[in-house]
Amino acid sequence: MHLIQRMKIWKELRRLEQRAREQPSPSTFVDLGQVYINLETHDKAQRVAEDGLALFPKAMELRKLLACARRGVRRQRAAELRAKLTRSPNPKLYRELAQLQIGLGETGDLHATCQEWSVRYPDDAGAWLVLGQARLVGFYRDLSAREGQEAVRCLDLAVQMDGEETEARRLLGEVLYRIGAVRVATQHLQVLQKLDTGDAELAALLRHVGTLVDHGDDVDALLAAVEEHGCLAHPSMAATASPLRAEESLARIRDSLAHVAELAGVQKATYIKGSRALVKGAIRDGRDPFLRVVRVVAKAAHRFARRLDIGSASKSVVDGDFGHICVCVYGEVIAGVQCTAGTDLEVVLAELQEIVAGSLYSTEAGD
Amino acid sequence: MGKINDTLEELRRLAGVKGAAVVMVDGLVAAESLDERYRSEVVAGLTSYLLMTTNRSLREGGLGECAQFVLHATHGRVMFLALREAFLVVVFDQFADLPAVSVDVQEAAQRIRQLTQMA
Repeated sequence: MHLIQRMKIWKELRRLEQRAREQPSPSTFVDLGQVYINLETHDKAQRVAEDGLALFPKAMELRKLLACARRGVRRQRAAELRAKLTRSPNPKLYRELAQLQIGLGETGDLHATCQEWSVRYPDDAGAWLVLGQARLVGFYRDLSAREGQEAVRCLDLAVQMDGEETEARRLLGEVLYRIGAVRVATQHLQVLQKLDTGDAELAALLRHVGTLVDHGDDVDALLAAVEEHGCLAHPSMAATASPLRAEESLARIRDSLAHVAELAGVQKATYIKGSRALVKGAIRDGRDPFLRVVRVVAKAAHRFARRLDIGSASKSVVDGDFGHICVCVYGEVIAGVQCTAGTDLEVVLAELQEIVAGSLYSTEAGD
Repeated sequence: MGKINDTLEELRRLAGVKGAAVVMVDGLVAAESLDERYRSEVVAGLTSYLLMTTNRSLREGGLGECAQFVLHATHGRVMFLALREAFLVVVFDQFADLPAVSVDVQEAAQRIRQLTQMA
């Protein structure tokens, strides 16, 4: 970069930093962060985004900036690790690189890293554990049977290669009981308990799994059932931990729903789980047609996406003379909004997505 | 019909578009230009199911009819636009920037509406 260009950028940075201090607004922080990103100083952009979010916690553009800056920081670190691995490879560096690639969602690179890792260190179960973790992320997100099968296969391999690999066994036990293979999951968790007798959390997990109904050992069939129904057979331990936590979680959902209902243009908002629904805004009662439309749209979109083999339907927006109806779905949880034409749908959908994502661990929700 | 096919071919050239089709409300394919992984009769049948179901629930609630439906899924996105007695279906990959291509899709739908009116 020429000296004059550098001086210009430096001057612009000084101006934007001063503006961020004197007239703080989301756009000021975004402009400043953007300059740092252009200069490839992602760590500084991350600091700017965090400072901005401390002042404007709901600003969508700042959240996007933070996500972008974090990705940049991770990419830089991944490039450093890649260079180090070329000079002096070791399993620890491979593990760190693979974990970064999981975070970045770079599936192709992750597979290449794990392949290289397992070729160089064929006795190291780590590559299979990391691959299993990546597949599990995909499985829990999409509830896709194919991802689940791969996750179980990788974790199983890791456990077979190293019988004392606790992380892989724990993940394997967890996914197995969540899909309904309670008996096999219990076996894995019992082995884990023998390896670490003092783990109180594991003891609690075993007690939780002991209360669940076994749906058989046919993992492929159980995964297919999960994909078909769009939800897991059993809740996690966190979800059933205590009524108090469920109450807190329900209160949080109520607050989030109230916040969505207050957004400009939003007329009605609902959170639906099973036959129960929380509602905010201009809704008369449980027979309000909006609630039925939200349920119908969620179900029909889910079927459409599954049959067309494009994964799980996560968001739907229906437009008409009534304005927009936005629906966000995750598993059996649905959040929906009816809003007028001209509403910022991106903001509404982001809020709905946060509600469904945040409510994954509350099973007792309802009114 | 040639001009409708041309319009669908033009849509195919937009970034992220995997295919486009004009589907009658009863699930018959009027015209299509789809990626080979999508079978036209499957797309048509599913579109008919999705929009008939949605429209029925909207009508029952006194909300009228759906003019546009956008579906985001894990591995793809689909846009449906109401035509006369038919729908324009545009299938995208999951990375498609829908706001960026929305105007082109709306224009294509408008062109197809005019062409069907002339026919």
